[in-house]
Amino acid sequence: MAVSFKPIRSLLQTGTNTSSRWFSYIGLGIGVLLLLCSIQMFINIQQLLGGEDQRKEGYDFISISKTITNETMGQLEKNLFNENDIKDISTQPFIQGASPLVANRFRVQLSAGDIIPFSTDMFLESLDNSFIDTVPPNFTWKEGQDYIPIVFSSDFLEIYNVFAPGYGLPQLSEATASQVVVYITCFGENGVKQTFRGSIVALSDRVNSIIVPKNFLDWANNKFGNTTNVRASRLYIKTKDANNPDFLSYLQQKNYKVNKDKTKFGRVKQVLQGIFSGLGIFGLLVVILALMLFSFYLQLMIARSKDNLQLLLLMGYSPNWLSKNVSKQFIPVYILVVLAALAFTESMQWAFHHFAMFDRPELSSLLHWSVLATALFLIGLSLITNYRMVRKLLYKLV
Amino acid sequence: MQLQLQQLLPVYFDDNYRNGSEVWRKDLTFSKGEYVKIVAPSGSGKSSLMHFLYGLRNEYSGNIVYNSANLRNYTAEDFAGYRKDHVSIVFQDMRLFPEQNVFENIELKRQLNPFHPVEKIKEMAERLGIGNKLASKSRICSYGEQQRVAIIRALMQPFDFLLLDEPFSHLDEKNSQNAMQLMLEEAKLRNAAIIFADLERIDYFPYTRLFHL
Repeated sequence: MAVSFKPIRSLLQTGTNTSSRWFSYIGLGIGVLLLLCSIQMFINIQQLLGGEDQRKEGYDFISISKTITNETMGQLEKNLFNENDIKDISTQPFIQGASPLVANRFRVQLSAGDIIPFSTDMFLESLDNSFIDTVPPNFTWKEGQDYIPIVFSSDFLEIYNVFAPGYGLPQLSEATASQVVVYITCFGENGVKQTFRGSIVALSDRVNSIIVPKNFLDWANNKFGNTTNVRASRLYIKTKDANNPDFLSYLQQKNYKVNKDKTKFGRVKQVLQGIFSGLGIFGLLVVILALMLFSFYLQLMIARSKDNLQLLLLMGYSPNWLSKNVSKQFIPVYILVVLAALAFTESMQWAFHHFAMFDRPELSSLLHWSVLATALFLIGLSLITNYRMVRKLLYKLV
Repeated sequence: MQLQLQQLLPVYFDDNYRNGSEVWRKDLTFSKGEYVKIVAPSGSGKSSLMHFLYGLRNEYSGNIVYNSANLRNYTAEDFAGYRKDHVSIVFQDMRLFPEQNVFENIELKRQLNPFHPVEKIKEMAERLGIGNKLASKSRICSYGEQQRVAIIRALMQPFDFLLLDEPFSHLDEKNSQNAMQLMLEEAKLRNAAIIFADLERIDYFPYTRLFHL
């Protein structure tokens, strides 16, 4: 035979402190709303700026350098990456590889022989082959070989074609450029010099440099420049997502300079995620405050109904049954409050998707499942804290 | 079904009390069907004894054993079951819900473990002369009326022992006899024992054992 709670409800005196109860309901509603909206917006940002678009190889390659400030000017060791820097960067979880762009440490002169009357001092750099987007099979060098294959930046070719007419030089197509044989003269100390033949074997969109095989530059740096130290002014980094906020904050913290354009979405995302994380935490605080307010209300209610509850216990009502039933009274309200917040969040999401984002396919007008899960969790959380509170207070009366 | 008192004594009583008492510091066993009369002058611990037996307080030395289980080992849930199914009480101070009416006060007890159908409330109320008070809030009832409400409330549940703590203190002779008669009938119905504590002997309670507290 089930005992009815109905006649007992009127023994719980809730009358005069209705306002504090409503304040706690409203507070709970606002807190839940803030929390759910923040989670949904956080997910929206992920979906909009998450870099879900497929890159060719699934990685971003970007070059970074140390920021040269007035204080570090002229101090090479502060402006160049040493081996420890490179090791530290390579071990970061969001970086899949790092390779220094090693430059020549001796004077290099390039001339185009007789075909194009053009000669200039220039630089050479080397980079791990895996970081170069276009590596033909003949991009190799052996000691004793006087031919050097070159991977040339397509931007540089474009720049050449811009100024060539002004100097009376022929403009070159990509195909012609690779047929031009150039002469590369390396100057060492004490008048040592050696000339190599070279030609462009590939053009690179990724690397803004003149790249020669790594073993050649190591050998030449040793021979003409007397150094084997790996100190590079630029590093190439291979990362899954150049817009990853962790990656960006790591770069900021280390004061490394990076191509801002490549990481612009990441910066926006970083700021927005920061804002919504803050809002989410604020929402959580409001939820906790509301639950606390509600527990004060419960304490007050039980204190006011103390005589009645004590008499019920004295008559043989089970304290367990009473706690369950007293706390059950608030289940509908809790569920209603959270559902109302959920409905608000859903309409916010629909409006955001429809009016602000013009139904972009990356987003959904419906709430993400994790928002629903959070709502369920919050219902559970309020019910459990409520039940435990009532139970604790009632057992004190026994 | 036995209720045993083993060397029971309130901790706040000094040794003077136990001399001459037929209850304190004695080993007693009460069984179902017995009518026990405990005569006790004011301040001899009558209400304490009733509260100990009902499990409301435990400031005593010695033990109270119900069905070979010591009340000291009872949990809050055990006491709820004990009061719901086995032991009923009429308090000296009635202990009604002041804002509930007479019917509600009785029904709150009846629904917990109904021994009688709900119609019985009205029948008993009429028999004890408070049939017209069922809809009145209990706080506006006289003490005599409240005492009768408390008696009817105690009779709504099954019990093995009915504890009476000065149940007639606000009732005249006629009403007391009437109520006693009802309680005796109800106890017989359950083959229950009555443990009746009062200031003096009462002729219309046919006790089978008599103790002086």
